[in-house]
Formats: sequence, structure tokens, C-alpha cells
Amino acid sequence: MKTIDVQSQPILSFARTLGLALSAVRYRLFRAAVTVTVIAVAMAFLANILSESLIKGAIAVHARDGIREMRLAETWVANLSVPMPGTALIDRLAGHDEEPSRIREIAGLADISEDELADLVPVAVQARTYLQFFERLDYGRRRVLVGTASGPDIFRRLADDPAAVQRLFDGLLTMLSYRFPTERPDLEQFLTEWPQLDAWIEQIRAGQARAIRDVHRHLDGRHLLAALAEADGPFGEILAESGFELDDEERALIAARAREAYRAYLIEASLAEFEIRQNIAARRDILPSDVAPLLLWNLLRDEDQAGWLLGRMQALDLESDDLDAATLARLAREKARERLMMVAELATADTGGGFLGLGQRMTWLAFVSMLVCVVGIANAMLMSVTERFREIATLKCLGALDGFIMTVFLIEAAILGVVGGVAGAIGGLIIGVLRMLFRFRTLLLEAFPLTPLFFASLVSIGVGVLLAAVAAVYPSLRAAKLAPMEAMRIE
Amino acid sequence: MKAPTAMATPPTAPRKEERRIIIRTLGMKKQYNRKGQITHALRGIDVEIYSGEFIAVMGPSGSGKSTFFNMIGALDSPSEGRVFIDEVDVAQLTAEELAFLRCRKIGYIFQSYNLIQYMTALENVTTPMAFGGVEPDDARKRGMEILELVGLQERWSHRPIEMSGGQQQRVAIARALANRPTVLLCDEPTANLDHHTGQEILDILQNLSQNQGVTIICATHDHRMMNVCDRLMWIRDGGIERIARRDEVEVELAGIEGE
Repeated sequence: MKTIDVQSQPILSFARTLGLALSAVRYRLFRAAVTVTVIAVAMAFLANILSESLIKGAIAVHARDGIREMRLAETWVANLSVPMPGTALIDRLAGHDEEPSRIREIAGLADISEDELADLVPVAVQARTYLQFFERLDYGRRRVLVGTASGPDIFRRLADDPAAVQRLFDGLLTMLSYRFPTERPDLEQFLTEWPQLDAWIEQIRAGQARAIRDVHRHLDGRHLLAALAEADGPFGEILAESGFELDDEERALIAARAREAYRAYLIEASLAEFEIRQNIAARRDILPSDVAPLLLWNLLRDEDQAGWLLGRMQALDLESDDLDAATLARLAREKARERLMMVAELATADTGGGFLGLGQRMTWLAFVSMLVCVVGIANAMLMSVTERFREIATLKCLGALDGFIMTVFLIEAAILGVVGGVAGAIGGLIIGVLRMLFRFRTLLLEAFPLTPLFFASLVSIGVGVLLAAVAAVYPSLRAAKLAPMEAMRIE
Repeated sequence: MKAPTAMATPPTAPRKEERRIIIRTLGMKKQYNRKGQITHALRGIDVEIYSGEFIAVMGPSGSGKSTFFNMIGALDSPSEGRVFIDEVDVAQLTAEELAFLRCRKIGYIFQSYNLIQYMTALENVTTPMAFGGVEPDDARKRGMEILELVGLQERWSHRPIEMSGGQQQRVAIARALANRPTVLLCDEPTANLDHHTGQEILDILQNLSQNQGVTIICATHDHRMMNVCDRLMWIRDGGIERIARRDEVEVELAGIEGE
């Protein structure tokens, strides 16, 4: 029997396949719209939590930096008031690499060579680890393990009394959910090294106390903040002579911040004058005892009010550090920004961790929403396939290849994915930015993470397309493998 | 319509001896195994269909008519036996080659038209040409020619939903003819149409059979088909009950009516 020539079917061009998929989508526009909505909602959710966490992350960094700078003056007031507590010193020594100038300062004040100090760093690191462990315990557990001791006292108690170490490990056996950071021999080894560290901590504190006394001798009755406001001038020299390490940049910054802090202190101190307090209370229609600094600062944002207050202060012969109304109003606005930063720091305390820094809970939520999205798309695509059994079978009767059918459905899903992804990403982004704007106000504009947000929306769109394609694989495979006689329906 | 006699007659040769065999089945059997229950849809069918013939296939529901159509339309493969379409053993073909066969050799016409709803009449006709690799411009030109053949050249831009049943069926016929198939498989082409429109479709089919030399295999319950076909085939319980030339049946019918 002779055979005739049977060849493979030609593969249709992508453009024509796309055209067919497009017209199929257009024909079932309502179904497509529903599917797109499912994708868009899921992607909006993803884009929203992505953008919000990115913005929160950026604001967290911004606020932390801002607050650190803001508190510079206060930090130095503290540094110049009392020697550092042992725990803080251990922290500083353990963080040896982060701030070399502070370590140099410590070495200078305590009259210890820097190399000797560097040798102590590993011990300090270990001490910090143990302290962090004890800090996390609640009072009851700590009481069982180390009695009433806290901070470096814990080590002193343990080093003095071997029975205390025994009690510590006995106690740990009853707290199975807490793991001690190291094995017992490590702790015992550490305790032999502790007295050296302890002695040096005391030495450092004594050095600091000496330097502080030194500085205070030169205050001449001035307020410490007022003196620090001249940190870029003569007072800076005094600091340097007393052994505090500061470069010029730090001095300028400290001086500026200290001046602001001093002025704020003076303004807040003016509330002690009954006349001023009562006046403000009358303006706000509240009791004089309810007038708080916060309220005062809100009031002073208005330049007229600031001028009035300065006038009163002058009349009462209060010190006002040559403030004029405009500067005071600016200071008041600065105060508002500082408060915003504090709020922001609190609000962003939970950022970080989980996938893409979304946080554990958000990662989980995003995952679930993606899952719902996949199921939704798969369902919509399956419906679309089932609904079109006859059409698919007809196309196969007309000579369509399995691959062609599959491509049509995958393209259709991808189109839905792109449209839904873009709509969702834009929607989610806008909602996220607006929400964050409402929460952080001007801080958002100061730390707007434009590039990360752009990539976040790209990620959302990509995820949308990918999810749609993944969800469409099974339905399209099913459509492709469909027997053509489904449509024949003879009889 | 009742089969005239219960006695099976051997396949009757067509009148024109020079015609070649276009579809041949050898001991074609088909069993469906559903949850362990075996259904014998076809119990061994040997039939030869000649090029240019117009065969009407008749049989009650569940007779295996549908399965028979799937087999000779290369839509399904038999459990046993062989099917040759234009001298090609269908069982030997790959999925791509089967698609080629369906595209070029066979035109399908369905009871429910099965037009693609989102395409215009012309697009419906040119789709199989696209699958066959015809250039879009050539396809459009040829599509218009075929639409003219079925008398629908004026309505080329209409979608199926804008057309009557008869018009849709004519588009379906045009689509089936798109790649100049050797065989036209029709599944109850007139069942959904009224008397007059059904007659139009029959006329077109007859015209194709007589003037274009297309082989037509037509499942039907429509007794008017007897007026246009060359041979009739009755299927019952998965086997061929009877095959007869039209003139033979007409003689018998005349005899029955005479009684």
C-alpha cells in the first residue's frame, strides 16, 4: 500500500497566537475582569505591605539617626555628669570596632594603653552576651538564678562564690525554655578573667569621674548645656584637656545641638513663672496646672506667640539666650519634628525580619494572600477552559497543535497577570504611600525610598504575572490534552 | 426512519469502478474501560469508502455511530484493527501528524455548528488555513471565495451570534472546506435547522459531492438525505447492520410502500 506524505503542522507565529488570545479575552471581558480583579487585589496587598515596610524601614533609619543627633547634647550632658555605668562601659568595650575614638578616650581617661584595652575586648563581648541573657529574664527567674544582683554585680557575685555558680546552673535546669549562652566551663573560665575586667572598669570610671570633676571646675556656675553650646570654642579646649576625645566636626555638632537644647530648656523653664503659665492657660482656656511643655511648643510655632513669650520673659528678667521670635518659632517647629521622629521610632520599632524585611507576620500574610491568588486564578482559568471545551476541541479538529492551545491559555493568563499586576501594584503603592504619609507626615518626604519602591512595584507586577502563569499551567495543560471528540457529540 | 430489512448485506461497490478507496477500516473495534466496566462501542467494522462518495450513516442512539465517526475522523484510535485515511494508517501518526491530517484531509461539520464565537465568518473560515500555514492574504482571498460558494460573501464580517442557524451552518461548511479536504464528515448537519434551511444545506452538500468531488460521510436522521446520497449505512450495536446503494433502497422502499 502506498503511503502519502503526512508532515507536521507548521507552528503559528507568536503574533497570531497573541491575537487569538487577545480576541478570546475581549470576548469574555467580564470573566477576564473578575480574574484581573482577583490578581489586582492580591498584588495590591503585596505591593501595599511591601511599600509600607520599605517606607517604614527607611523612616526607621532616618528617625534613629535623627534622634541620635537630636540627643547628642543630652548624651554629652550625661557623659559630663556621672561616670558611665558598668553595663554601658561593657557595651562600649564590646562594640570596640564601631567607635574607635570613644575607646581611645576611655584608654586616655583610665590611663590604660589601647593595646591592653583591646585584649579585654573578647572578655567584654562575652560579658555583654551574659548580661543580655540576664536582662531578658523576668524578675522572678533572675532572682532564682543570681539573686538580687544586676549588671556587673552578677559577675561579682558569681566570681566570689562558687556556690552561686552552682545555684545558677541548678536554677537553669528548671527553666528549660531558656538556654544559657555558653556551657558552664566557658562561664567559669570567664569568671576567672572577670576580676581583671572589673578592676579596669572601676579604673575607667575613676578616670571618668576625675575628668568630669575637671570639667565642672571650669563651668563657673554656668549651666552645662550653656557651656556645651561653646563646645566649638573655649569649652571644647577644656573638654580636650580633660581627656574627652572630640574632633572638630563633633564639636560643631554638639555646640549647635547644645545651644538648641539650652534654649529649649530656658523656654520650658519659663513655665515655672506663674504669670506666664497662667497667661498661656488663659489663651488655651485650661487650668494653669495643665500647661505642659508640649502645649507651650505648639503655641510657640506661631511667631506672634513666640514674640509675646520672649517679651514676658524679658519683663520678668529671665534669661533668654538672645532668642528672637523667628528663631523661637523655628525652634518650636523643630521640636514638632523631633516629636514626629519619636513617634516614628516607636511606630517603626517592629520593622525588619522575615522575607524582604516585611516582618514575620506580614510575610505570612503575604504568603497566604499569594496562595489565595493562585487558587483564584487557577479556578478562573479552569472555568475558562471548561467553558471553552467545545471551542478547544473545534480548534483541534481544525488542526491546532497541543502546544498552540497551551500557548493561547498561557498568554491569556499572562495578559491577565500583567493587567492585574500593574493595576494592583499601582493601587497598593498609592494606598501604602498615602497611609504612610498620613502617619509620618513630612518625615516621609525626608526619607522617601523612591528606588526601592520602584523595584517593589516591579516585584509585585512580576509576581502577578508569575502567579497567573503558574496557576494557568495545569488548566492549559488540561485544555491541550483534551480529546477533540469532546466537541463531536454525535448522537 | 426504520431500516428496511434486518438482514445484513455485503458492502456494495459504487457504480463508478474507477474511484479509489479513501477510507478503509479493517476489523475496527473500540472498547471503553470505565471503572473496570468494559463497554464495546464497536465490535469489528470493515468498511471501504470510495473517493467522491456521499454516504449517509444511520443508526439509533448508542449504536456506536459516534465512535465510528471519531475513528474515521482521526479523532480517536481503535482498540483493535486499523483505520486508513487516504491510505495512511492513523495509528502510526504522531500528534502533530494527526493535526496535519485533520487540518488538510478532513473537514468536520457539526450538528451545533461549533463556530468560534469571537471570530467573524471570514476569520472562522481562515483559521484552519492559518493552522495549515497559508499566508493571511491568500487565506482571506480564498476564504471569500469559499464563502461565496456557500452564498455568504455579503456577511463575511458578521459574528456567529449575528447569523441564523442556517447561515452559521453554511459558515461551518465553508470552514470545513477551507483546506480543500478529501473527506467531509458531517454530524447531523440539518438536525438543528428547520425544514427549508435544512434543504439548503443538503443542496450545498449535494452540490459539493457532485461538482467538487468531495467525499461526504454524513450521520443523519433526516430522511431527505436519501435523496442526495449515493450509499446508506446502518449501524446497530457496534456493528454494520447494512450497507446499500440508494437505488437498491429506493426499490425496497417502493416495495414497502406498495404493500
